[in-house]
Amino acid sequence: MSAFILRRLWQMIPTMLGVVLLVFFLFNFVGGDPAYLLAGKISNKEQIENIRTQLGINQPYYIQLWIFIKQILTGDFGVSWATNEPVSHIIATRIGPSLTVLVPILIIETIVAVLIALAVAYVRGSLTDRAIMVVCTMAMSVSLLVYIIVGQYVLAYKFSWFPVQGWGDSFAENLFKYSALPILLGVAVGLAPNTRLYRTFILDEINQDYVRTARAKGLSEHKVMLKHVLRNALIPIITNLMIYLPSLLIGHFLIERFFSIPGIGREVILAVERSDFPVIKAITVYVAAATMISNLLADLLYKAVDPRVKLK
Amino acid sequence: MNSTPLLSVRDLRVNFRMDKHTNFEALKGVSFDIPREQTVALVGESGSGKSVSSLAIMGLLPKENATVDPRSQVLYGGRDLLRLSGDEMRQLRGKEISMIFQDPMSSLNPVLSIGNQLNEILMLHMGLSARQAQERSIALLEEVGLPEPSRRINRYPFELSGGQQQRVMIAMAMACEPKLLIADEPTTALDVTIQKQIIELVDALRRKHGMAVLWISHDLAVVGEIADRVIVMRHGEIREEGTTRQIFESAKDRYTQALIQCRPPLDHRPLRLAVIDDFMADGTIMDSSKEEAVRGLSPNDEIVLEVKGLNKEFVSREGLFGKRVLRAVKDVSFTLPRGKTVGLVGESGSGKTTVGLTIMRLHEASSGEVLFMGQDLLKMSKKEQMPFKRRIQIIFQNPYASLNPRFVVGDILMEPMRIHGIGANDAEREKLARQLLERVGMPATSFGKYPHEFSGGQRQRVAVARALSMKPDVLICDESVSALDVSVQAQVLNMLQDLQEEFQMSYIFISHDLAVVKYISDEVIVMNQGEVVEIADSDEIYRNPQHAYTKKLLGSIPRGWHAH
Amino acid sequence: MNAASNASPVYQASPGLWTLAWRRLIADRVAMVSMAVVGAFLLLTLASGTGLIAENWNDEIAVGYAPPSIFGKPDISGRTKMSKHDDGAAVNAYPGTVKDPLAEDIAELKATLGGGTSASPSANTALDTKDDIDLGDGLKVVDPIGPEMAEILATTRMSTEQSRAESLLFGADKWGHDVIKKVIKGSETSIFVGFAAALVATLIGTLLGAVSGYYGGWIDDLLNWFYSIFTAIPYLLLILAIAAVLNQKGVMTIVLILGLTGWTGIYRLVRAEYIKHSTREYVQAADAIGASNARRMFVHIFPNVSHISLVQLSVHTVGFIKSEVILSFLGFGVPVDKVSWGSMLGEAQNELILGYWWQLAAATIAMAILVTAFSMFTDALRDALDPKIK
Repeated sequence: MSAFILRRLWQMIPTMLGVVLLVFFLFNFVGGDPAYLLAGKISNKEQIENIRTQLGINQPYYIQLWIFIKQILTGDFGVSWATNEPVSHIIATRIGPSLTVLVPILIIETIVAVLIALAVAYVRGSLTDRAIMVVCTMAMSVSLLVYIIVGQYVLAYKFSWFPVQGWGDSFAENLFKYSALPILLGVAVGLAPNTRLYRTFILDEINQDYVRTARAKGLSEHKVMLKHVLRNALIPIITNLMIYLPSLLIGHFLIERFFSIPGIGREVILAVERSDFPVIKAITVYVAAATMISNLLADLLYKAVDPRVKLK
Repeated sequence: MNSTPLLSVRDLRVNFRMDKHTNFEALKGVSFDIPREQTVALVGESGSGKSVSSLAIMGLLPKENATVDPRSQVLYGGRDLLRLSGDEMRQLRGKEISMIFQDPMSSLNPVLSIGNQLNEILMLHMGLSARQAQERSIALLEEVGLPEPSRRINRYPFELSGGQQQRVMIAMAMACEPKLLIADEPTTALDVTIQKQIIELVDALRRKHGMAVLWISHDLAVVGEIADRVIVMRHGEIREEGTTRQIFESAKDRYTQALIQCRPPLDHRPLRLAVIDDFMADGTIMDSSKEEAVRGLSPNDEIVLEVKGLNKEFVSREGLFGKRVLRAVKDVSFTLPRGKTVGLVGESGSGKTTVGLTIMRLHEASSGEVLFMGQDLLKMSKKEQMPFKRRIQIIFQNPYASLNPRFVVGDILMEPMRIHGIGANDAEREKLARQLLERVGMPATSFGKYPHEFSGGQRQRVAVARALSMKPDVLICDESVSALDVSVQAQVLNMLQDLQEEFQMSYIFISHDLAVVKYISDEVIVMNQGEVVEIADSDEIYRNPQHAYTKKLLGSIPRGWHAH
Repeated sequence: MNAASNASPVYQASPGLWTLAWRRLIADRVAMVSMAVVGAFLLLTLASGTGLIAENWNDEIAVGYAPPSIFGKPDISGRTKMSKHDDGAAVNAYPGTVKDPLAEDIAELKATLGGGTSASPSANTALDTKDDIDLGDGLKVVDPIGPEMAEILATTRMSTEQSRAESLLFGADKWGHDVIKKVIKGSETSIFVGFAAALVATLIGTLLGAVSGYYGGWIDDLLNWFYSIFTAIPYLLLILAIAAVLNQKGVMTIVLILGLTGWTGIYRLVRAEYIKHSTREYVQAADAIGASNARRMFVHIFPNVSHISLVQLSVHTVGFIKSEVILSFLGFGVPVDKVSWGSMLGEAQNELILGYWWQLAAATIAMAILVTAFSMFTDALRDALDPKIK
């Protein structure tokens, strides 16, 4: 087990290196000279040269790359160009609020979607099944922006059931007061596509031979669905969850922005708006690392669900 | 003994809705009885409705598109199983009537341990506690001959071999001591030596527990070994029913007669195999069984292909730096004379298919030589090999996978000619292609059709025509008739023999089926775990096998009915 | 060659798998309806792209926030008051009606002093009336007649509004643009971006997937490395990062960003198919008859996996339409002179608070109809092409 984790971490190195190179390429070649951006509207040659020296961009590229790698390893990306806040501090303080919203969305959505999908797959082919699928298709065609805009307007602004936005200091207050509506909307956005997908996963399993065996044993349909089918359908569901995690982040970025949640997503959007390169670079690299770690967790989860997976 | 049958099927009719407009009548009014404590066999080719019958009895037909006619009845213990509620039927399933299936690997839940799957049924029907169930499960596994049951009970299906998996399935079916066991092609996916063990196991369990068995198979020879009564089905109808002796010794129905005659016999070698059409068409039955074909090598044969010390290793990466080497072919040598057939026979994992693919260079050999007319094919560059490519061709096992579904037959046949510059222009090639189609017995209209419009046998004929288009010297037949129904198999075997005579081609005939290999080969090579264990003249090897493995293999061939 | 095919009297070509799939598709009522809807949108896109309709979407033909009359005559009393207290931005929206005599000079002054990024005088005309630039050291560029000018502009605007429509069938936006024309124009942008980006992504994904799956070995390792890099960074984050460094907006830019980052899913699927097919017997048979690698890859295997690319093209078109909407909403998408569903939603977000729901509704409904139809069409396409049903 630990050997497996070590090996997977080892395998991440090339990918991580690739991410670093890609980010470096984007910001140091494609992005042009950041000194002009940084110096703002008035600057003279001297100032620009000054900034360039500070940033190290008049050094050869390999030195710049080395600086970047050193920054990643030490976690010290300098300060934000926009606010002078240390980048490491920005990231450290923004993770908490992001997770407060993200984790409940992920858990609630998966459980609810799996349950609905099981129920719908159970009555497959019926009018209920078809009606729910049509509703899902239609629900998926409305932009998630509309869910958030309308949801916030109706539920918070009009009916005042939830605070329009805000964030406090206590975790409980944040989770139950300020995150309630964002979580609700996050779940609403993801429910339709996931239900549809999980239904197809479950239907794929329903036609397998072992399900026929389970029926031949005289098991009840419920037992067949919940024990035999679900157990196997969990394998593609976990895979999907990992593929889906990045797009969950997209919705999440927007939710943070609309509800002024001081998380990573809002920070990224702000940074892009302000061309705040150190913050974008740092967040990109760390989120990539987090994605890879979560893929590793998925592999461990596979092992728990599927005995055929060998962790060596 | 109670004389009323255990189960009676009356006028069973099942319809499948294929799409909005088409229905498929899978069963057209089938009636039969299963007496207590006896084995009844349902025999038929694909599409005969034999499996549908078993699923109908179990109430396991797919609800979405299958309908059972209201006139139909399945009587068991005074009740009509087709009229039972879902709950009542579940009480019976697995307890009084249980079932085993063709493919044990896919029939077991891959993510649950075998103990879990066994305990489940014991706890459900016998009301055992988890602990009692575990003990009983171990005893059951012991009874079905799974070695080290108390250790293996926590294993998962993928950790067992195919034969062991089927034993687990049988243990599960026997768990509640059912009155009837339905075995739906339980040995078709297994090697012949394992097949024999499973047949013996089921028969022993039947005697010991006094249950009845409904054995479903496409293979009359298997059925002859185990059944008391045989029911022959075709196209959803019963053609003939009788005791096994009646069926094998004095079949009245022409289709039944054909089925018995189509299988290549082991004790003699008719010039041609009988085919269904000979029997089904009215008139005299071509009785060719008297005339014997002569097979065997002679020292004067011209050697076309010589394989010397062929090795093939598969290397798989394991861990960070480790690798695992699988030696699929170990030091195989043989010669192939012109116009003769060498049979390669062995069970799964014997390396026989790998030998064929390595000769073709579809796999690269690890070492060894393949001398074609004295030149080593394996040493050539891909470019140098090009002119030789057309001279060795291959026919694969699965006729559904070996033809490109997006090509019409005409293109399938003309493509190799274009690549090798056979025929001056497309007009000439088309003419050649049409001649080939005629030669393999396909209608001229098939030229513009796609593979999906043909049956398996027809597709295999197209594959043969494709190979012939390059006028090869050597044809490798890799399990080429194994996926075909026995009657179609006979037709293709006859055709291959005719073509060999006409074009003086040499065949490497690879198969797991000893009867077929014996029938068509001059020389037989027996392979086991990558090694050649015996090479001998085909008649000689059957009469007088030398190696222990050959003897075991021969002893496992189901020989149909013989007076007990 | 031609003579050959003519000289074959018995040659009767059967319908191919594509033909059969097409027949299944047109036999499906849902597929037909959704195809008709998608077709209608495409025609609309074509018509507006060639300037046949909605070319004059930028004309201010109604009063700001003219309500929709489609549900009956709206109550427009108190409109004047409403538009008066709107917001400052509206004031600046009428350049050229009354010319600010100092605007050009001031802009120029600001440009020189501020060292600003080449602000051309005309672009800034009358826009920066209130935005005095602080030069540090207490110095300020002050527009001496700024406040007065703003008032003049506001009055002029009130008077021009008299000649504008009080209500439109589908309502108007802040500046009095016809919402329906904006929706049409927005459809053009969104559909073009979605489709073009999906085309780019599908081409890249299919080609790389084919090469990777067919050859395996180091090529596969290399491409898998690329794949792992692109999937390690969440999609939107990558797009935002690229948008940040590019710092230039344009329809083609957004097409390229979406296309160049969105190929991974297609790559994965096509690669898996090629791995599966390259060991199939028909490909081995092609090898046996001497067909070259390129021939096996493209002539033999490709027709058998192309349906996957086609379905993915369809799936990704929908996906990219949605992505474009989000990017444009955030202001990283299409440039400001273009209208897209995303920019409409961006404007509508603030309008909703004021009770002007029609732009939001129009953009949402247009998008929902297209995407629903497109998704149902994709499903039908998938079913029709499913090799399992034969």
